[in-house]
Amino acid sequence: MWSAGFIVFFVLSLLTIAGALFMISLNRVVHMVLALSLSFISIAGLYILLDAEFLAFVQVLIYAGAISILMIFGIMMTKHSEEETEEPKKPWQNVLTAVGVIGFFGIIMYAIQSTTIVTEKKDFTQIDTVKEIGMAIFQKHVIPFELISLLLTVALIGAIILAKREEE
Amino acid sequence: MEASLTSYLALGAFLFCIGLYGALTKKNAVIVLLCIELMLNAANINLVAFNKFSVSVTQDLTGQIFSLFNIAIAAAEAAVAVAILIALYRARATSNMYEINELKD
Amino acid sequence: MESMFTPYAWLIPILPLLAFVVLLVLGKTNKTFGISFSIAAIFASFVLSLLIFWERLADNASNYVWDGWNWLEIGSFQISLGFEINNLNAMMLVIVTVVSLLVHIYSVGYMHDDERKTTFFSYIALFTFSMLGLVIAENIVQLFIFWELVGVCSFLLVGFWYFKPEAKAAAKKAFIVTRVGDLGFFIAILLLFTYLPEPSLSFTYISQVFTTDLVNQIPDHIQFWIALLIFVGAIGKSGQFPLHTWLPDAMEGPTPISALIHAATMVAAGVYLVARTYDVFLAAPGALEAVAIIGAFTAIFAAIIGVTQNDIKRVLAYSTVSQLGYMMMALGFGTKLALAAAMFHLLTHAFFKALLFLGAGSVIHSLHEQDIQKMGGAGRYMKVTTITFAIGALALSGIFPLSGFWSKDAILVEALHYQVIFFLVGSLAALFTAFYMTRLFCLVFLGEHKGKHKPHESPISMTLPLVVLAVLAVVAGFVYTPFIPWLATWLTGEEVGDHLSWTVIFVSSGAALAGIILGWLFYGKKAISADKVAASIPWLYKLSFNKFYIDELYQVAVVKPLKVVSYLLDRFDEYVVDGAVRLTAGATVWLGGVASRLQNGQIQLYVLVTIFGFIIFVLALIGRRFW
Repeated sequence: MWSAGFIVFFVLSLLTIAGALFMISLNRVVHMVLALSLSFISIAGLYILLDAEFLAFVQVLIYAGAISILMIFGIMMTKHSEEETEEPKKPWQNVLTAVGVIGFFGIIMYAIQSTTIVTEKKDFTQIDTVKEIGMAIFQKHVIPFELISLLLTVALIGAIILAKREEE
Repeated sequence: MEASLTSYLALGAFLFCIGLYGALTKKNAVIVLLCIELMLNAANINLVAFNKFSVSVTQDLTGQIFSLFNIAIAAAEAAVAVAILIALYRARATSNMYEINELKD
Repeated sequence: MESMFTPYAWLIPILPLLAFVVLLVLGKTNKTFGISFSIAAIFASFVLSLLIFWERLADNASNYVWDGWNWLEIGSFQISLGFEINNLNAMMLVIVTVVSLLVHIYSVGYMHDDERKTTFFSYIALFTFSMLGLVIAENIVQLFIFWELVGVCSFLLVGFWYFKPEAKAAAKKAFIVTRVGDLGFFIAILLLFTYLPEPSLSFTYISQVFTTDLVNQIPDHIQFWIALLIFVGAIGKSGQFPLHTWLPDAMEGPTPISALIHAATMVAAGVYLVARTYDVFLAAPGALEAVAIIGAFTAIFAAIIGVTQNDIKRVLAYSTVSQLGYMMMALGFGTKLALAAAMFHLLTHAFFKALLFLGAGSVIHSLHEQDIQKMGGAGRYMKVTTITFAIGALALSGIFPLSGFWSKDAILVEALHYQVIFFLVGSLAALFTAFYMTRLFCLVFLGEHKGKHKPHESPISMTLPLVVLAVLAVVAGFVYTPFIPWLATWLTGEEVGDHLSWTVIFVSSGAALAGIILGWLFYGKKAISADKVAASIPWLYKLSFNKFYIDELYQVAVVKPLKVVSYLLDRFDEYVVDGAVRLTAGATVWLGGVASRLQNGQIQLYVLVTIFGFIIFVLALIGRRFW
């Protein structure tokens, strides 16, 4: 009998995959972004299932929120005619890509199936993961954390400079 | 029946491949970026799942922190990429991947 | 006697080479200086040759060999460049430099109006260098190099007026036909290289091998083939039957060239080669016999053709072929005396044939005409040319006491000692020779003037060489008479016994006189109509007039089949070889097109290719597990 957790996993992964598939099969760009947001949110659900509440929170904030909005901005700032409705210019490339990707998927599945990993289902409910993550970041991983902050700053400034209209 | 590590890995692989296919076939540069985000997410799922299922002595959360860093970098990458797209669009008046072939010359 | 000048013999060919370089550098500027320089250079060579010759006159002068320059070393085998001076080539040096000097001077007048006269002079300077190099070559490979060089110069000079299609064709023919002989010569060198007991190709060593017991180390048939193939080379160069066809055609070149190359020097190189390697021939009696037979046949054969030709230079060319045949025949007798006789004839022939050619050149220069049927009466206007030409013709015919008489006599004496048949053939050839020379002389210099141009005597630069050569043609014969056979003694180093033969003197003089009288009756007095005689034996006349159809025979037997084969090969080349090339090129272009279509600058495609590469890589890794 399926456990409740498995049913939730099943539903969430179904939603994730459905969002992804919609993303690559829909025609209008805005719809694509919305479909992907569905995927992102479902992934947040999966994180909760994996006892990573803080990550789920961050996922919703950053992916479903910030990045999706950023992309919509990107879409709006560039012009989009109804080009996506046209037939793809290179059908053979799509077919080849499909073949290649399926081959790639096959290889990864083969790797997953043939690898034996000793697993143990840990229980994170006893601990406060948010607190633990905070502790780890500011103690153990403080240097990467600072580097990330630097990176984000640089990316922010770089993005502004790149996107800024050149002054003449 | 429980959701095992293999299930999550398979899910991650599947999402990754969908993202890959989209990244390689889509004409619109923004969509290509979205697909790349999807691939990053697939990787994150793997990391978190490993964190949950792998055998370790202490209750450490390195996998989740790894994902956290990933998300931060993905955000930075998305910001820069959209900025590049806008600059490119301004220069070439297109965001069509087929027309971006500077590498040819 | 201490040799003083001989060690400097290398200067003799180097000086004309220097002149060639100077003329080449000067190009078309400063023509007078270039030409004067080249004449000065050849004059210096001539003086040096004379000095060396004078040194050689001393009794028992030893041969001088210098081979210090090691040119090629293959294992233990060495080829050096050097020079050798012995009596034979000292004499050749004098002949070549004398004729070359006179031709140089003559050309100043003859080529006066030619725009490319400096080119002409540079060519003859190069030729003189090559010919002198050939003469003093120390080993057979060196000789071969110069042998080819004179061939090249001959090609250049015959084709000097390259804008005339006949000259172009003649140059090609001269080159290709002599190449046939050269191939034989080259094979002979290879045979020598293979079979000589020691790895050396110097003449000294060759002669040493073939005169001692060492010769037994070489199989008999190889000895025969070596000698015969060397002779094949000589056939090509000296225009002997059946490779004589190029020589008459080579008359398309400027006349001084015909005198220098195609009468006096280069064509004599074949005779010289046989004489130089005479020891090889002496070891192979079969080859000697071939030499004698071919020589005799050529002598009579070319003389018969000469009777009916109408081009003044062609008559002389056939005469040259015939006289070279004489020399070859003499060489074929296989005695030292015969060798001396042949070389003697070479000497006298060089003088009087050069004289005749230069005289003919003078006539052509004045009349602008080469067809003797359209000439006549030139004798009244060109005194010097006429007299000198007459001396040359008489010398060639063998009239006492001109040089031709003595040299022909020397050969005929040897022929009589060898086999009577050769003596008869030689006498008959002498009769024909006298006949066609009389015919030539009568048609050109006697009778009425027919052309529009009023003939005029040639300038002094042209008549002076004629006079000098005429004097030489008169006196050169006295170096070797039956009474004082000095040249034979000097050349062979043996005492010559009594070789006086009144039979020979009477027969040869009789033949010459008969030829002259007949010619006079036909063409001078016109007592007998030549046309009627020709009409009475039309087949013989036709045969002779068409040169026995040898050219046509070659055309059918050699040229045509070769053309068919080369046509087929051309098709093969075009469709099979070129096809393969084109296929390769096409395939490469096609592949390049495919590859360049991959390089379309789209990252998506690049990544796709990367994925496929990754898949193939992983599959290979996985696959390895199962094998």
